[in-house]
Amino acid sequence: MNDPDVVIIGAGADGPATASRLAREHGLDVLVLEGGAWHGNEKWPKPHVDAGGTVSTDPDDLDGKLLDEQFTVLEAGANDPTFGYLRVGPADHSRAPWFRNVPQNAFLWQVSAVGGTSTHYFGNHPRGYPYAFDEQPHWPIDYEDLVPYYQLNEAVTSTQQAPMTNKEEVFIEGAEGAGYDRLDTLNVTETGWRPQPNAVEDPPDELNSNFDGSFSWDDGFRGDALAADHFQGGPTPEGAPVREKARKSSNTSWVPRALDTNENESVGNVAIRPNAYVTDIKTDEGAGNLEATGVEFRDTWSGSTVTVEADVTVLAAGCIESPRLWLNSGLPDDGWVGKGLTTHWFDWIVGVYPDDAVEDINGEPNMDPFVGHNSAVRFDKPGVGGMEDIGMSPGLVSFANYLFSQAGYSFDVEVDPDEPWDSRGYVVGEELKRRMADYRNTKALLILTDDLPRQDNGVSLDDTFADEHGAVPEIRWEPHPDDDAKRDELSRIAARIHKEAGAEHVHRCDWPPLFLHMQSSMRMGKVVDENAEAYNVDRLFVGDHSALANGVGGPNPTNSGQALSLRTADRIGELYF
Amino acid sequence: MQGLGGLAAVSMSGATVAEAEEALTEALPTDPHTRDTYRAIVDAIIPETPQLEDELGPEHVPGGLEVELEKFLVWDFNHFHEIRLETLANTGGTDPVTDDAPSADQLELSLEPGEADSDLDALLEVDGIDTAVIDAVIDDLNDLLATLSGGLLGSSDEITTDDFEETLDFGTIEALEITIDETVDEDETGPVDFDVFVETANETSNTAIQNYPYASLFTIVFDIVATEFILLGKNEDAIDRGNEEFPAGGTFVQLSREDRLRCLWSIVDGGAIDRLDGLLEPIVTDVGILKFVVMAVNGLHGFGYYTEWSGYEDTKTATPTDRALNVPPGKVQSRRQTEYPGPQSGHAADWRHAVPGGFDDPEADELDLDSDLKGDDVLEGIGGDTP
Repeated sequence: MNDPDVVIIGAGADGPATASRLAREHGLDVLVLEGGAWHGNEKWPKPHVDAGGTVSTDPDDLDGKLLDEQFTVLEAGANDPTFGYLRVGPADHSRAPWFRNVPQNAFLWQVSAVGGTSTHYFGNHPRGYPYAFDEQPHWPIDYEDLVPYYQLNEAVTSTQQAPMTNKEEVFIEGAEGAGYDRLDTLNVTETGWRPQPNAVEDPPDELNSNFDGSFSWDDGFRGDALAADHFQGGPTPEGAPVREKARKSSNTSWVPRALDTNENESVGNVAIRPNAYVTDIKTDEGAGNLEATGVEFRDTWSGSTVTVEADVTVLAAGCIESPRLWLNSGLPDDGWVGKGLTTHWFDWIVGVYPDDAVEDINGEPNMDPFVGHNSAVRFDKPGVGGMEDIGMSPGLVSFANYLFSQAGYSFDVEVDPDEPWDSRGYVVGEELKRRMADYRNTKALLILTDDLPRQDNGVSLDDTFADEHGAVPEIRWEPHPDDDAKRDELSRIAARIHKEAGAEHVHRCDWPPLFLHMQSSMRMGKVVDENAEAYNVDRLFVGDHSALANGVGGPNPTNSGQALSLRTADRIGELYF
Repeated sequence: MQGLGGLAAVSMSGATVAEAEEALTEALPTDPHTRDTYRAIVDAIIPETPQLEDELGPEHVPGGLEVELEKFLVWDFNHFHEIRLETLANTGGTDPVTDDAPSADQLELSLEPGEADSDLDALLEVDGIDTAVIDAVIDDLNDLLATLSGGLLGSSDEITTDDFEETLDFGTIEALEITIDETVDEDETGPVDFDVFVETANETSNTAIQNYPYASLFTIVFDIVATEFILLGKNEDAIDRGNEEFPAGGTFVQLSREDRLRCLWSIVDGGAIDRLDGLLEPIVTDVGILKFVVMAVNGLHGFGYYTEWSGYEDTKTATPTDRALNVPPGKVQSRRQTEYPGPQSGHAADWRHAVPGGFDDPEADELDLDSDLKGDDVLEGIGGDTP
C-alpha cells in the first residue's frame, strides 16, 4: 500500500481496531506500522530469527497452528523481560530488548508485537466507571457517548461474563461474607462483586469435571479450555485458526477483522507491516498550525528507512512510545506531552488457604490457580477503584506475591496490629519456599486504584541514552497521598475478603509501581481535543490508551482504549474524508 | 582486543544472523567474582532448606544454587541494554541524539586491585574517581554515622580512609577491564561490541559481548555498597571474611544471608547510591538505574527459578531461539516444589455463570445512570484533578 489515506503507528490493542473501523465504515485505505514482530503469520514463519516478509494484507496469511508453535505458553519463554517472546524489543531475539530508563524501584511491562501488550493480558474487558467520565473533571465527552463503542468492541471480542471455577468460588464466599452484593450490570455505579467481563469465549457446556475429551480444535473442541494460558499468549484451543482462539487479544480479533476488508471490494483496505519502527512524524506548516503529513519508519531488520505520506496520521504506539515519538519528532510540547500517566497504583494482597477451608467451599481441597481464566471475578468500588481475583502459573506468582515490594524484606517489616494482614514486603528464604509449597491453595487479589493524572508523572526523553530510534524514554511515577489512601482502603477490603473466605495467612506485598495498565500520558483535554486530534498538530490523532483522560476509575483499560479508538476512527472519517 | 562493529555489520546484513547467534551463544561471560556474588544472592533468596525435608518432603530441600540460577541473573543483566555506535558522543558519524550521551570512554572501565596496594587504591585509579571523591564519601558517612547509634565501629568513632580501605574487597579480581575499540569509522552504525577482560589468580577470561556488560559492574557496585553498609554498622550479623561458600566474592559475600538483602535494600531505601554517587558514577553511567537493578535482582528469581528455566539445561543461557527444553516444564525442580503440572491444553473443571442470563446492558440512550455514588463509595476529600 503505497498511498494510504491514513497511517497508524502501532498495531497494539488499539491500532487494528481503528484501522478496521476506518476501512469498513469510512472506505479508507489504512497502513498500520508495527515496530515488533508478527506471530502466527505465514509470512514470518520464524519471526525472531529472520526478517521474513514485509507486509501482510491477506487474512489467509494468518495461521493458528503456527501461532501454537510460537506461543509455547512456557512461563520464562513467554514472560522473561529480556528473552521472552512477549517482550518489548526488536523481533530479532539475538538482540537485547529496547532500553527504557526507569530510575526507581519499579517494573515496566510492555510487549512489542502485532497485538501489542494485549498479546499477554488476561482478557479482562470491564468498562470504565461512569463516575470516571461524568464526575471526575477530566473528560470532555460523556460516558453515554462511549457506550455504543463499548458494545461494538464487546461484540467483536466476544466479551462476556467469565466462567466461575474453584478459585472464584472462594473469592465469592469471601466477598459475600464481607457484606458485598453481586452486581449484574456492565455500567457500574455501586459497590459490589461480579464476574469479570472477559474477552474470552465461554467454555463449551460439556466441559466439566467429567470431561475426558480432547481440547484440540481438530477434534471438535470449541471455546475456552480453562487452560489459564492467557498471560503467556493464550493460543488455545490448540490447533484453532487465529481468529478462533478463545481469547480475543487484538491479534486474534481486530487484526483478522481488519484484514478481511481486503476481500470486500465495497470497503477500504488495511495493510499491516511489522518490524517497522516509526522514528519521525512528518509535518508541514499549515494555516496557523502544524499539519501532519505522514511518517518515516525504520525496518528493524535491514535498518533501511522509508517515508510514508498520508492525509491523516494516528499515533497508537502506547503510553510510552507515543509521547516518546512525539518528543523525538520535535513536535510542540506545552507541558502535558507524556505527562499525567496513570497506572492504577496497583497493590497485591495474597491469601494462603488451608485445605479444609477450600474443601468446605468447593468440595475439593485445592483452588488450583492454573485452572480457569487468569482473572474471572472482580470487586468494584467507583470513586476508589477495584480489585480482581488472580490465578497464574508459579513463576509469575512468586514474582508478584513475594518478590516485588516497596516495603523491604518481611523479616524486617513490622506489621501494624490494627491492619488486617499478617505480613508485608518481600518474602525470601525458607519462608518463600514454604509459601510456594502452598501454591495450589494461594490466591492473590490485585488492587486497581483510581489514581488520578498528575503532571509530574510520566514519560520524558532520557538525556543520556539513545537507541536506533532516538532518545530512549525515561519513566518516573510517584503516587499522590490521595492515591495511597485509596490503595490502602482497597487493600484492607481485600484482606477482609480473604479472611472471610477462610485464609489462614494474608500477606500485603506493598508493590512498587508496576507499569502494566498504562493510561492518559497523551490525555484528552490536555494534548488532544475531544476528537482525539492533537491541539498543536492538525491531522494528527492519538488513537491508543494514552488518549484516555484518566485511568477510567480503576477498571482494566483495554475495553475503554479500544472503544475510544473506534470512536476516534469515526471522528477522523467525519472530519477529513 | 575485540573489534567493534563486526556483529553490528552481520546484524545489519540480515543474511548471516546465524553467525551472529553463534558468537553470542558462547559460554556465559562471567568470572569467579561475578559468579560468586550472584550465587550469594541466590543463596539468600532461594536457599537450600534441609530443615524442610521432614515436614514437606525431600523435594523441598534443594535451592536456586542447585539449578545454577546465578547464570540466569548474569545472562539477563548482560543482555538487557544494547549500546549503539551511532549514539555515542565521540564516534562521529551520526550526531548523538541526547544532551548527555555517554562517550566510549565513559563506558570503559579499568580496575586492577591486584596491581595496587589496596582495593581502594585500585578504585581511585578508575577514571573520574580521585581522593577528593573518597574524602567526600567518608565525610558523608561520618555525618550519617553521627545520627546512628551503635554500629560496628561504635557511635563515637569516625570512619577513616583506612577503615574504608580495610573493608573494601573485590574478591579474586586482579584485573577487570571493559573496553571498546577506539578506531571506529565515523559512519559505522550498529551495536557496540564490548570486550570484557577479567584476571584472577587462577584464570583469565576475555569475552566479547554485544550488550553492555552490566553483570560484572553490578557486583563491583555491591561490594562498594556493602563496604558502606558495614562501616555504618548496619549489618545485624557478624561478617565472615573468609566465606568458603563463595570464595571468589568480595565484601558483599562476607555478609550473612539477610544482611546481603538489607545491603541491597539500602540502595533503594537507604540513600546509599546518593552518598556513594561519586564512587559509583564512573562505574555505572546512570547510577539511578541501580534502584531498578535491585528490583530485578529480587524479581528475576521469579522469572528464573519458579519457571521452567532450569529445564533448558545446557542451553539455559543460549540465544533464546536456540534454547531447548530438555526437562518437561512440570518436572523441573521448582515445579516439584509447587505441584504445578506445567502448561496444559485445557482442564476438566466444573464451571458456572455467576449471573444467570448475563449482564443487564441497555442501549446507550436507555441508560439511566444514577449520578450520585451510593453509601461509602466516596472517600471524603478525594476526587477531582490532582496537582
